[in-house]
Amino acid sequence: MALTALRKYWPFYVMLLPGVLFYLVFRYFPMYGMIIAFKDFSLMDGILRSPWANPWYKHFETFYQSPYFGELLRNTLLISLYKLVWGTIPPILLALLLNECRIRWLRAIVQTLTYMPHFLSWVIIFGILIALFSQNGGIVNRWIVEAGGSSYPFLTSTHTFRSVLVGSEVWQNLGWGAIIYLAAMAGIDPTLYEAAKVDGAGRLRMIWHITIPGIRSVIILLFILKLGHLLDAGFDQIYILYNIQVYPVADILDTWVYRTGLQQLNFSLASAVGLFKSLIGMALVLLANNVAKRWGEGIW
Amino acid sequence: MVKGLDDKIFNVAVYAILVFCALLAIFPILYVVSVSITPFGEVLRNGGFILIPRDVTFSAYKTLLTQSNLPQAFKITVLITVVGTAINLILTGLMAYPLSRKNLPGRRLVLLMIVFTLIFSGGLIPTYLIVKSVGLIDSVWAMILPNAIWSFNVLIMKSFFEGLPEELFESARLDGAKEFRILFQIVAPLSIPVIMTIGLFYLVGHWNEFFQAIFYVTDRTLFPLQVIVREILMQSQQPLENADNITPTQTMQMASVMIASLPVLIVYPFIQKYFTKGMLLGSIKG
Amino acid sequence: MSSNSMKRTSAILTSFALLAAVVSGCGNGGDSEASSSPSSSPSASPAASPSASTDSASPSASGASGKKIKLEVIEVGNNLPTPDQDIIKKELDQALNVDFNLTVYGSGDDYKNQLNVRMASGNFPDLFALDRQQLLEFSKQGLLLDLTPYMDRLGQVKDFIGEENVKKGAVDGKIYAISKSSQIPYNTYFIRKDWLASLNLEVPKTIEDLKAVAAAFTNDDPDKNGKKDTFGLTGAELNGAFAPVFGAFGVGSPGSVYEKDGKIVNALYDPDMKAALAFIKDMIATGSVDPELLANTALQHQEKAFKGQAGIVWIDWPNMTKENMIEQIKAVNPNAEWIPIEPPAGPAGKFDGSWEIGNTPGRYAIPKALEKDPEKLQRVFDLLNYVSDPKGGSLLVQFGVEGTHYTKDGDKVVMTDKASEVGYSWLYQFTGRPEMSYLQTKFVPQAEFIKFANNQPRIQTLNGFVDMPEGYVASDADRYIKEELAKFAYGQRDLGEYDKFLKTLETTMQYKLFMDAAQEQLAALGYGSK
Repeated sequence: MALTALRKYWPFYVMLLPGVLFYLVFRYFPMYGMIIAFKDFSLMDGILRSPWANPWYKHFETFYQSPYFGELLRNTLLISLYKLVWGTIPPILLALLLNECRIRWLRAIVQTLTYMPHFLSWVIIFGILIALFSQNGGIVNRWIVEAGGSSYPFLTSTHTFRSVLVGSEVWQNLGWGAIIYLAAMAGIDPTLYEAAKVDGAGRLRMIWHITIPGIRSVIILLFILKLGHLLDAGFDQIYILYNIQVYPVADILDTWVYRTGLQQLNFSLASAVGLFKSLIGMALVLLANNVAKRWGEGIW
Repeated sequence: MVKGLDDKIFNVAVYAILVFCALLAIFPILYVVSVSITPFGEVLRNGGFILIPRDVTFSAYKTLLTQSNLPQAFKITVLITVVGTAINLILTGLMAYPLSRKNLPGRRLVLLMIVFTLIFSGGLIPTYLIVKSVGLIDSVWAMILPNAIWSFNVLIMKSFFEGLPEELFESARLDGAKEFRILFQIVAPLSIPVIMTIGLFYLVGHWNEFFQAIFYVTDRTLFPLQVIVREILMQSQQPLENADNITPTQTMQMASVMIASLPVLIVYPFIQKYFTKGMLLGSIKG
Repeated sequence: MSSNSMKRTSAILTSFALLAAVVSGCGNGGDSEASSSPSSSPSASPAASPSASTDSASPSASGASGKKIKLEVIEVGNNLPTPDQDIIKKELDQALNVDFNLTVYGSGDDYKNQLNVRMASGNFPDLFALDRQQLLEFSKQGLLLDLTPYMDRLGQVKDFIGEENVKKGAVDGKIYAISKSSQIPYNTYFIRKDWLASLNLEVPKTIEDLKAVAAAFTNDDPDKNGKKDTFGLTGAELNGAFAPVFGAFGVGSPGSVYEKDGKIVNALYDPDMKAALAFIKDMIATGSVDPELLANTALQHQEKAFKGQAGIVWIDWPNMTKENMIEQIKAVNPNAEWIPIEPPAGPAGKFDGSWEIGNTPGRYAIPKALEKDPEKLQRVFDLLNYVSDPKGGSLLVQFGVEGTHYTKDGDKVVMTDKASEVGYSWLYQFTGRPEMSYLQTKFVPQAEFIKFANNQPRIQTLNGFVDMPEGYVASDADRYIKEELAKFAYGQRDLGEYDKFLKTLETTMQYKLFMDAAQEQLAALGYGSK
């Protein structure tokens, strides 16, 4: 059986070979580093020779026993869920609108402009946010004051900070995120639209019955992959944007690990939290993939 | 008649929302451009916010472009982007095509293996050790090979390949076409939109590369563009307690961002035409 | 690249043969990264060149006659030019017969990561900057070279940085790092002189004056634009803006440890802390303090001052008085004038915040692996001695090349108009510099500000001498302290609960561990025993 498969499929295996080699060398070989989570890692002794932690869950315990554990987990999940929802739907909508746009130049301009924010790093976006939302002198607050209201601390208030996080990320990734859906729409067979037109279908109906089903598999694929990173709520962004006043709503696992693990050279702790995040992510992906399979859309 | 009117209203709504999205994106971009060409004192006088520059100066650009590091870094970035993207696309295609054949024995295993690496990683230190032991430290290859394939892109490409009509392969196989020929002569030309998309992802990834550079490279002459830009941006975040240090002004920061991203911004409009509806029609039916 | 190194290798081999003939003894080859291969030939033993130690000012003793050695140094920094444009590198290469490869990292975190992975992989740089925490960890793990037996070969360094700074590189009595010579304080309150004039106010002398002036700056329209768009005080977070106010109550910055009445005191437990917080709370309640004070995590407070939003800011003189800063201030408002002021007095007198004496502006260590390559090690020592020679290399790394970047007027150094070409030379100041004379030479227009800031009295804190105890999660405690103090200062938590706050800090946040460690470690150094 195996032999016949090999005889029949060998060109495919030859194609896979370089990629599999890459995965083995650069991805799987370093995997042994995960055991750092169960060791008292010392740079001198290296990963394999460092002594085992006693008890083996010592670093997980440190993490679990932090007075902030519950809050960190809650913030991480909430911010991540908001981003999952708001980061998925607007790009799809934008792609649908661009796809419906009949004016070529308008489509080109909008597509290019919305793509640009992706190239601004968080340091720059932070600067922009301050210019817009700062309580003293931010443009938006100036407008509010001129309109007779009183200024609001958007960037330091626990009520608005998460919205700032989610909003700025959606803004940054709107056009970038739409690219992949546009590519998927380009692959839809145009005869389907023609046939629908003959049947007298309106534009909205065509979107609903042709375009969206046409990009369904990409939407599901991206969604499953994003679930795998549910506990990554966006370190770079939060690290640059947060301040002591919004810690209660903004401090996430990664920022905590950064302050506790990296700055104090506790590699084992950082590794333990990383492993924890990965395990949850993997469980979610397995679950989601099984659900998706029922619709015939699983990754494997 | 009613239908035509509906269509018009629909169009107007679409255009209105699109223009709104464009405005949302353009204001901050305009701000970045304007600040980059305005003397910083002028920026401050306007409360830190400028959309239409009045007092234009290109001194920040001049300062940056005459810095000894920049031209060299630019060359390195172009090199790793071009070579890297080519390698990425070939390897990704070679993986994605077999994985899109649903009856391939072992497919599930390889896919799981790929997804696993998206979520689990061995960490920085063991990865550094392997890069070191294959002798890549301090070479441009250290910025290319350790990320030669992105799992995410393999899965995307595979998913697109799965969408290609099965008859296509059947007829090709009847012709006795070899699988490599099918991939390069039939599948690839039919998949231009996804190849362009993924090519863009890789290209932008390489263009923004700094992470591997700062870990695997210590030779200053091999640093890519983003390392230099990061140096400028990070200074404003962690001011060194040093009288000699000159923290770059916002004008300088914005100028560095402009210089570093302009080339990739220009690339995009050229790729867009490949996302037009109905790309596949001619090739399949014709 | 490779043909280049081939040439170098052959040149090295030739000179190596010469050296081998001169120097007797043999050691074992190191695992050097350099293009040379010491293991293939006998290398010099350290004892063979004792003359280098005493007369290290002239590096020729061991360097110039030997082969060219590649030295790799890494640290945090910026604006380093490429090697071919790097004049300082060229001078050092020549003076020490080395091929110097300095790499700097713009972000402190990037640097830390880089150093950690290199330590873990055995790919050691020959000299590298590190912080106190890394010094402790690395030395504990045996990664650093114990410099104690070599100190007589670092004579010039010892003289240059002083005995006190030598000690700062010690762990358990052994010296594992070379600390830079001491820095001087830069920060003071700066105030808008033109605003004071426009409202007919005096420079605030006491903290009550400070409060009144800040209120006037907020309410009385000091910029006369008819809008209520200014406020009194800003700074970098709570500690920054109110450092002199804490000082006026005789309290160090929150979390600091210092000597008071012959005893070791933690600022949070200082009996005067509550009074200081009460004052700050009242001042904030008047609405005269930057409402986004706590979000000033980088240099936002400076920007607010420049924009004409705030009239008082606690900041360092370089960010306020250097030419390019003045230019920016004047561009916003040609009449704006900022002057530094003495710390306002309070119940305990006046102190311009805290000044940490246990810390150092930087420290450098050598990997233990380098002891297997005595020749290279000697070259690192030569380097350190050379940049510590007040008549030789130190001048190079401070001011550049004589005749080009500076000239000498007797003993006095005068910078030329080409000085800006070597503005990055501080990256090479591995052992520091004589701070005051250096600044006075390099920043002539700021000379008065420099002296003024340096002359202000400060509370000397000792945290730099305290190492974190096992099991204490400093980041959690730090966060808790910052959060709760902010609540007290903003009136969101009643000061009556201050003792409750301390209680939680001690138990939940395990602050007790830190307190005990501080007591014990400082007592061992002789503090608090009067």
